[in-house]
Amino acid sequence: MKAIESIPDSQLLLFKSCMVGQEYPGVETSTRYVFDRLGVDYCINDKQSCCTGIGHYTDVFEGLTTTAIAARNFAVARSCGYPNITCLCSTCYAINKEACEVLNTNTEIREKVNSIFREQGLENLVYEKDDMNPRTNFYHAVEILLSKVNEIQKQKKFDFSGVKAAAHHACHYYKVKYLDVLGNPENPQLIDTIAAACGAEPVRWYEDRTLTCGMGFSQLHLNKDTSLQVTKTKLDSLQKAGVELMIHMCPNCHIQYDRYQPVIEEEFDVKYDMVHMNIAQFVALSMGAHPYKVCGFQTHSVPLEEFLEKKGIV
Amino acid sequence: MNAALDKAAVFICHCSGNISERIDINFIKKTLKAEGVPVFDYEYLCSREGQTLIKNKISERNLDRIVIGSCTPSKHGALFKKCIQEAGLNRAMLEIANLREHCAWVHPDRAGATEKALSLLRGKLRRLENLEPLEEIKVNIVPQALVIGGGIAGITAAVNLADNGISTCLVEKDSSIGGNMAKIGKVFSPDKLAEECAMCSLSPLMNEVAANPNITLLTWTEVERLSGSAGNFTVRLRKKPRYVRDNCTGCGRCSMVCPVLVENEFNCGHTDKKAISLRFSQSVPKTYCIDPDHCLQLNGEACGKCAEACKSGAIDFSQKEEIIELNVGAVIVATGFEEYDASQKPQYGYGIFKNVITQMELARMLGINGPTKGELLRPSDSSLDSRTVSSTGTCGNESSYEDFSDNDSERPEKIVMIQCVGSRDEKEGGNRYCSRYCCMAALKHSNLIKKKYPGTEITICYVDLRALGFYENYYRAVQDAGVKFVRGRPAEVVEKPDKSLVVRLEDTLTQTIKELPADLVVLSAAMIPSRGTRKIASILNISQDESGFIKERHSKLKPVDSSLDGIFVCGTAQSPKDVTDTISQAGLAAVRGRAFIADSPKALVNEIPTINPLLCTQCQECLRCPFEAFSLSESGKITVDPLVCTGCGYCTELCQNGAIQIASFTKSQLKAEIEGVVKEGDLLGFVNSGVASLTCDNIGNNALSYPSNVKLIKVPTNLVVDKDLLLQAFKCGASAVLFIEDPPDSPRAEIIYPLTVRHFEKLKKEIGDSGSKLYFKKAYVPNTKGLAGTFTSLAREGEMIK
Repeated sequence: MKAIESIPDSQLLLFKSCMVGQEYPGVETSTRYVFDRLGVDYCINDKQSCCTGIGHYTDVFEGLTTTAIAARNFAVARSCGYPNITCLCSTCYAINKEACEVLNTNTEIREKVNSIFREQGLENLVYEKDDMNPRTNFYHAVEILLSKVNEIQKQKKFDFSGVKAAAHHACHYYKVKYLDVLGNPENPQLIDTIAAACGAEPVRWYEDRTLTCGMGFSQLHLNKDTSLQVTKTKLDSLQKAGVELMIHMCPNCHIQYDRYQPVIEEEFDVKYDMVHMNIAQFVALSMGAHPYKVCGFQTHSVPLEEFLEKKGIV
Repeated sequence: MNAALDKAAVFICHCSGNISERIDINFIKKTLKAEGVPVFDYEYLCSREGQTLIKNKISERNLDRIVIGSCTPSKHGALFKKCIQEAGLNRAMLEIANLREHCAWVHPDRAGATEKALSLLRGKLRRLENLEPLEEIKVNIVPQALVIGGGIAGITAAVNLADNGISTCLVEKDSSIGGNMAKIGKVFSPDKLAEECAMCSLSPLMNEVAANPNITLLTWTEVERLSGSAGNFTVRLRKKPRYVRDNCTGCGRCSMVCPVLVENEFNCGHTDKKAISLRFSQSVPKTYCIDPDHCLQLNGEACGKCAEACKSGAIDFSQKEEIIELNVGAVIVATGFEEYDASQKPQYGYGIFKNVITQMELARMLGINGPTKGELLRPSDSSLDSRTVSSTGTCGNESSYEDFSDNDSERPEKIVMIQCVGSRDEKEGGNRYCSRYCCMAALKHSNLIKKKYPGTEITICYVDLRALGFYENYYRAVQDAGVKFVRGRPAEVVEKPDKSLVVRLEDTLTQTIKELPADLVVLSAAMIPSRGTRKIASILNISQDESGFIKERHSKLKPVDSSLDGIFVCGTAQSPKDVTDTISQAGLAAVRGRAFIADSPKALVNEIPTINPLLCTQCQECLRCPFEAFSLSESGKITVDPLVCTGCGYCTELCQNGAIQIASFTKSQLKAEIEGVVKEGDLLGFVNSGVASLTCDNIGNNALSYPSNVKLIKVPTNLVVDKDLLLQAFKCGASAVLFIEDPPDSPRAEIIYPLTVRHFEKLKKEIGDSGSKLYFKKAYVPNTKGLAGTFTSLAREGEMIK
């Protein structure tokens, strides 16, 4: 298990996510807003590419390509002196961590990847065994937030008292590498702890808490009915629990709930009372960030206006 | 060959392939023989035949000192010492090279392992040159035993000791003995298909404890400190005030008038007992006890109703805590288990949904002296009020039973039991081991419910059903009784608005997802070491396993000996087990305790400081010993108390004149071993002979590996390693030196650890440039992987420099 004390706050490469970038850019700006105010030493490097995760899980990229691209991104991180890859998206997190393990332990694949680099004259990208450590070089941005939760509480400008919030912890963080996570993977408390520090009232346990968001990457497109049924099941449970705010840590879950809640409402003729946010947006908001200029709520499908007005933010 | 070694010989054990398959023993024999050292080998040196071989060679060849290459000295060291003693040698004239845990088991490469084995044997041979016989230090053993914990294990051990004529003190932290067995109501029996009344077996035993003239019973008492050493322990006990004198007749009038209701730990937290109460009606001693946190009178309010009601004048609000000191020869730890906190698995809803309970809570509910008087109820329906105070609070009488039948509580018709909650669970917060009792407990409770309420539908969700030995008959009978079994670990328990539950799981035999409706879900929570067990392990400074159970010296040969001589362990403090196994083990612990006491006088560890009067200037620096083992006699001579001395070696650092040396670990002996062992590019580890040494051995037990240029030398603590020894190590070619120390987790190590850290830092400065090659590591027993990793990375660094 990861120890909270071991979470670094310097030399972090804030790993850009395609899903964040194209769907909810406010998640990235919110993370930067919060990191800046917490004194976190990070950098964003434009040479970094997509992790391929979305393509990998929809069978577009096979493992070798994904691993090679990861090795390339690791070289980017190391060469700019920010080797602690910190992901906004839990799929990037899982893909990078897994690729690092493969590169360290599977000599055949490592050599294959390196021979491609060498053939192309990209010696600088060559990955040597143990260049990166899968346990100590890969983080999710939410882990950094949790390690700074006291500071977040100190800098809190807006209190979310009385907001009944539910955490949706990402399966690619808690289930893929479940032996190397913060806390008990069967009882994740990451988001709950941060939300509570911002004054919200996290729902301790709700039915289907452990259920996935339903997206399942290609499943959303190939088995849309099943996919949306799963999402609906969880939304129903949340509605029953009286939840008004659902907090995410993965843009894929975020999309599934925020973009598809209106679709489910229409297709199943139901109505839900909850809105969606990423934990970074939530923390930024609590630290005084602008809901549109920083948090980028205008890109959300489930409108947050009513919620923000009710809480007195706008 | 050195003249000192002309009567020396080496014996190598094959350990049935454990050593011989990895180490080329013939090569070693040839090499050492060419150097003039006689070498003998045998399949099992620890066997009688092996020992006879050693003894015969000693007498045939008139040997005066020997090296044995075998498993770790902590396993058979004492045996081999006894063996050479029987052959007429002094016990100190033996050196053991650990060719198994430190060599064969950790170095898969045969050439590397063989080369290292040779260097370990050379180190020990060099050490032989400097050996001197040690005098035995003997002490009389106090013919009295202490048993800690008054559950079925402690009771059995105490009664057995007393029956064997040993004066025994039984200490229990609660106000009555009885432990968990008193709570569980019925016990399963391997050879009968019926359940027996636990209290019917336990109560007479408890009364025997009270009546036996050889047993002193101290309840409401906790062990605070243990000092001294094996055979002569001083124990400090804290006896809490009961506020009720021993002349209490147990009539219960006090409880009847007491106005305060408190949470009843015995009934798993139901608020159904009075602030003055017995733990349960059959409590021993049958002396009431006041809960000081809730009694009005003791919290400054005028009440005193109990004192008014008591006809014997037994209530005494002025009672004070007592400190009792005892002298005992042997200690038996029987501090038991507690249930795993099932709320760590929130998916099962324990602590969130009222109708999710544990097997222990179900046992209390089914017990006729429990919170519902044996009625099976849905907890969400029952509201317990003062009418239903259990008999332990004395309000219980026949009418309260009827109260229950009258109320509108619903009887659960569908019950689902979930096995392995926190057991056989590799996830964070779970325990990897099997708790052994829970399959049978679930079967027992199912059978009891089926008998009393035949219409109840019971489903047990299991991972594997483990009904060992004759219990299989019981399992079959329960199947015949109509209890259903589903193989699968449930994913989630869901509560419906009417407080009924649904258990979701995959039936892994049919590979189908199932939703089982339930009125009551019962979690078979793991058995974990009780808080008392964890605490006592640290007070007594005895080893625990990674889960916190007290570790036996050897699982087969010494299953009830703790890591310290004279301290024994039994029951669930040692590992999860049922009542039957607990009683067997407690009997053995009593026998071992008695044997230990009977073996008086006992030889003490003699690896303690010796003072060279020619060098001693009586500067009295050594009096700064943190254990106060040194004293200045009236004649002006410095002496060491062997009973108090821990042999840590701090005095060797304090003494500026080199007058103090630790016997068996003198500077010249250590220097010789370094010269023999260390080769160019080696990583040399100095290992504390306590927990650190155990951890190094465990690397081998866990079949991990590290490079064979890692060499380990055992020291009492690293305080005996001085600047000269370090420089010698580097001179011999060591690429780095690592101090491996016990973590500050025990009272002894708490004192020693900071000294070793300071010593390390001081040395690092003193040796100049080489300081960067000196490392320090704390070794925790479970962290074998981490330590092996440190060995590997430091050794690799060394190779690179080379």
